Amino acid sequence: MNSVIVLILGFIVAFVGYRFYAKYVDTKIMKSDPKRVTPAKMYMDGVDFMPTSKNILFGYQFKSIAGAAPIIGPIIAIQWGWLPALIWILAGTFFIGWVQDYSTAMIAMRNEGASLGGLSHKLISPRARIILLAFIYFYLLLIAGAFGNVVVSTAIGLKAAPMAWLFLTIGGVLAGQMIYRWKKDIMLTTVVTVVIALLGIWLGTIAPSDKVIGANLANSRWVWAIAAFGFCYFAAVLPIWRFALPINYVASYIVFLGLFFGIIGIFVLHPNFTLPAYTNFSIKIGPIWPIMFVTIACGAISGWHSLVSTSGTARQLENELDARPVGGGVMFVEMMLALFALVIAGTIFTSSAEYGTAIAKGPGAIFAGGVAKFLGALGLPATIGRSYGSVMMIVLAITIMQLVIRFMRIATTELLSDVSPVFRNAHIGTIIASLLGMILVLTGWWQYLWVLFGGANQLMASLALMLVTAYLMSEGKPAAYAFYPMIFMFFTTIAALSYTSYSLLQKVLSGAVKGEALIGNTLMGLVGLFLVLAALVLGTEGLKAFKRYKAIRAAASAAKA
Amino acid sequence: MSENEKKGGFFQAIKEFVYGVAAHDSARFAMKSRASMEHLFILITMGDMLGVPILPPYYSLRLLPYVVPQISTWKRRILREKDLTDALA
Repeated sequence: MNSVIVLILGFIVAFVGYRFYAKYVDTKIMKSDPKRVTPAKMYMDGVDFMPTSKNILFGYQFKSIAGAAPIIGPIIAIQWGWLPALIWILAGTFFIGWVQDYSTAMIAMRNEGASLGGLSHKLISPRARIILLAFIYFYLLLIAGAFGNVVVSTAIGLKAAPMAWLFLTIGGVLAGQMIYRWKKDIMLTTVVTVVIALLGIWLGTIAPSDKVIGANLANSRWVWAIAAFGFCYFAAVLPIWRFALPINYVASYIVFLGLFFGIIGIFVLHPNFTLPAYTNFSIKIGPIWPIMFVTIACGAISGWHSLVSTSGTARQLENELDARPVGGGVMFVEMMLALFALVIAGTIFTSSAEYGTAIAKGPGAIFAGGVAKFLGALGLPATIGRSYGSVMMIVLAITIMQLVIRFMRIATTELLSDVSPVFRNAHIGTIIASLLGMILVLTGWWQYLWVLFGGANQLMASLALMLVTAYLMSEGKPAAYAFYPMIFMFFTTIAALSYTSYSLLQKVLSGAVKGEALIGNTLMGLVGLFLVLAALVLGTEGLKAFKRYKAIRAAASAAKA
Repeated sequence: MSENEKKGGFFQAIKEFVYGVAAHDSARFAMKSRASMEHLFILITMGDMLGVPILPPYYSLRLLPYVVPQISTWKRRILREKDLTDALA
């Protein structure tokens, strides 16, 4: 099949989903009302609650949800063949993905801008909130591990990447200094710092890491794991304007330009898929169900989005009608990003064997190769294109990673400060989070780590859909559009996490793994097991809440009769 | 940018989108940093409004006229229930 047909299919699904299905849910089920006062207006404080234009929020939501996951998932999942991956990306987004993003924003808006924790407390039970927060800590740990692995494998696989990463960091820090300290013009700052970042991409091609620091260090996972988590350490402990935010600012231009011209490149080259449409039901990392459905996470459905929709977007929407374009519309754009990654993985290799060799080294090199090919169609030399793609991959992973480590630092303080005052120290919380992440990166097999992350992410999504269902039932609205996706995601992710944890712990108990792998397998297996148990308890609490709402509705109907 | 501001056409929408991608988060965090400092200051000076007497009432009363515009949003933010997920977005 031609790659352009895949993109056109994506546009059709996005159009029908957004124009008809989402509109139906918005007008007939949620009954969004432009006259209803949103929390952004009701509780405006100029900070968290602030009425904001839907175009700005569209960009904000896109930037917040589009990390490395929608790109890496399809690149790995193509091992089952491109057709199952394509079907899941399209159907997952159409029936589940946008439903979650839009509906969580809506229920947060209808509940005074409550966060997911607050919604769990109100709609399910107080215990649900506590379990959810513990669940989120381990979920974030898996994000740090999975994305850390992407950074490390990209830095090793593409020797131009570290120099580009370094210059991006320099450009970002300079941007912070110019904007906040020197009060320089934003246009000047943007031009200077983006040019520095682009210069780093070019310098990476003439000064690759193996020439600068030697082949041994350039190929060491330890070196790049320390670099990645050291970067996150600074992002977590320094004032956010000095490091994390300005780097994200400069990086957003690099990523945005790369994606924009990359998609144009696909239309120019319009290559055919060269990898098989379908390979096997079961491959090395597991069977197509449930494992593929968690391998492709953010491109189809992602729990991360519900965190952004509730704590961020819902508090800024100035009109209920804006929830559909912002909450739902952005999910369809992310679907296109996942299709872009699928086209890259499916078209740049001449054979499955060639793909197999490339994927063994990690998905970063594949993505960079694809970016090089499609930017090459517009005249960019291949070496610079690969360098550009590699820094895009690192940026997409590390911008989420630094946020996660910062958040884990806060979570450590919240959860453990009563145990000992030492946990109130920002450095201690950051070091704990970084060390746990590093252990996963250095000792775990990356494909299992990715599946665990995807499983936790999708499970988070099913819990968010559970909250949506509970809200709809409590309001006496039809809940089927959220209930059935919730059931599907809940059982799929429980199965995926159980399967992966079992595979990992079986290797530990049978003595099949030793040394570093023993630590990695044990830690990942136990985290997976904890997530399954937490989800089962949350599921039970959710079931009780559903029964409660059903009984209340039945009693109300009986009283009317 | 509120709804009262003039809505432009396609290019205005693109401009706002780029702002949303690149800078909206930075602006929000800058506001958050300022709000945190202000709220801390009000807590020290006007804490007795929440039952936390810190500064002698004489100084609180001297500062009161300057703080009045902030009091409603300050109380709302301080008293609002928060959890870990608030820190994420």
